[in-house]
Amino acid sequence: MPLFFRSGEIRIAALSGALLVAALGPRIACATLGEPESTVQNDVTQLRASIKSSEDRVGYRIHEIQLPGSTLLREFVAPNGTVFAVAWNGPTKPNLQQALGKYFDAYTAAPRPRFVDRRHMNIQQGDLIVQGSGHMRALSGRAYLASALPSGFNLGDLH
Amino acid sequence: MVFTRALRMGLGVAALCLSAISCGGGGGSGTSTIPPPPPGPTANTASVIVDQGPNSAGSVNTLFTSVTVCVPGSTTSCQTIDHIQVDTGSYGLRLLAPVLTLTLTAETLSSGGSLVECTQFVDGYSWGPVALADVQIAGETAKSVPVQVIGDPRFTAVPSQCSGTGGTQEDTVASFGANGILGIGPFQTDCGDCDTVAENLYYACAATCAPTTVPLVMQVPNPVTLFAADNNGTIIDLPAVAPGGAVTLSGSLIFGIDTQSDNQSGTQTVLTVDGMGELSMTFNGQTLANSFIDSGSNGIYFADSSISTCTTTGFTTFYCPASTLMLGLSIQGANGTMANNLTFNVGNAQTMLNDNPTFNVFPELAGTLPAGNAGSFDYGLAFFYGKRVAVAVDGDMTSVGTGPYIAF
Repeated sequence: MPLFFRSGEIRIAALSGALLVAALGPRIACATLGEPESTVQNDVTQLRASIKSSEDRVGYRIHEIQLPGSTLLREFVAPNGTVFAVAWNGPTKPNLQQALGKYFDAYTAAPRPRFVDRRHMNIQQGDLIVQGSGHMRALSGRAYLASALPSGFNLGDLH
Repeated sequence: MVFTRALRMGLGVAALCLSAISCGGGGGSGTSTIPPPPPGPTANTASVIVDQGPNSAGSVNTLFTSVTVCVPGSTTSCQTIDHIQVDTGSYGLRLLAPVLTLTLTAETLSSGGSLVECTQFVDGYSWGPVALADVQIAGETAKSVPVQVIGDPRFTAVPSQCSGTGGTQEDTVASFGANGILGIGPFQTDCGDCDTVAENLYYACAATCAPTTVPLVMQVPNPVTLFAADNNGTIIDLPAVAPGGAVTLSGSLIFGIDTQSDNQSGTQTVLTVDGMGELSMTFNGQTLANSFIDSGSNGIYFADSSISTCTTTGFTTFYCPASTLMLGLSIQGANGTMANNLTFNVGNAQTMLNDNPTFNVFPELAGTLPAGNAGSFDYGLAFFYGKRVAVAVDGDMTSVGTGPYIAF
């Protein structure tokens, strides 16, 4: 599989990914952050979602996933094929247990900071950073692995 | 729905006419017939306070009021609950089950399941059924209002689609930081399209729970929109506070805009908000399109990497400049109207909290937002200090415009 393919080709790859998931059934890891790009399709299947677009940027690629509701989930893939970040926005959050995979427990176990107001989140647990802001009907956030960011990646583009 | 709202508006206008007659009718007319006294205006003002929160929780910049709820139709099975947070950044009345002594019946969907909500916040979620209650605040009443009962022992099994959204399960008074929340933002309900899209907010629960669509009338509404009168918006009126803060701050939550003599619009700036309740703010030469003014935010939150952040554990997301900074801000409504040349101060969060451990009001408390994330400036409760801020509901008219807007 080529490292970077155009959006027309993603459908074929996505289809084969879905077949792979179907073949392996529950044994396949339900994970994305820190996992190979093939798990993007696993997310899509698990979340009953669809890939809205896939776009190559300089130094990375974004898969934008439309969840069953109105929320959009974006998964960022580094040149080495690893999902290094996810970002979301919409009236609800995505299933982060799915999208953060093995990092979900660290995220949920993070101590709450002082003076929480339900509008902000800024968690650092080792290599994992999870941040969010917003209010009812418009929630946004992102999670990334600090050590996995492609060189030259601008965090301002992670949304 | 539109018709119902229009009808309510009409009744509101009728009430206004009656009170106008009573105001202008003073003095003896010389006739012997004494007309019956017109009904007095509804008491439309509730007291609000910024204090330490329930159980001395140590809240900062958090506005509270009291709300009375009754079993629908009852005048005796009622309970007044204090420390309900007043929140212009959410929609709906939500009560924490541990403080609720009434038994409120969950709404039942046509499928037969109970309606339960997974209310989602940036840092967590709250799970609980949507039940009907009569709601009274000051003299205002709304009958059979869908309200959420958070942490209800009748519905303890949180489905994985809800818990999987992650963060803290905010189902206790301690984790929620309030006995409940009164969401009075500028829209009618807490979801834009849940009547047609299963947004992973509302669930139908029978043996198991599954996301569901919900008819509009069953969704959790901003309860003000269901008041019999004064239902087109709210005004939060708070006095100014010293720059260093205060222990408490008391003010008023006034219901209705231009419906009574005490809630008249004046010459304030009217900024229409977009479909998400947001405005455009310009800060540091950057236009931040997803900005908002929010009584439910406890600080002034923005991204500015040139300001030092605090170093103490638990405070690292707040700003700690060596000396207080005065910064400029302008705000543009979706209607194009500008509020220019606003200023706000950023104090040293660690110093202000250490120097005044009994204070709960900190107008200069400011915190970070992730750079580039959503292009947002979140101006919290400090915006309301020393102001009279009106929030008009989507589609409702006042003398100075049509909601959704915020005016100050």
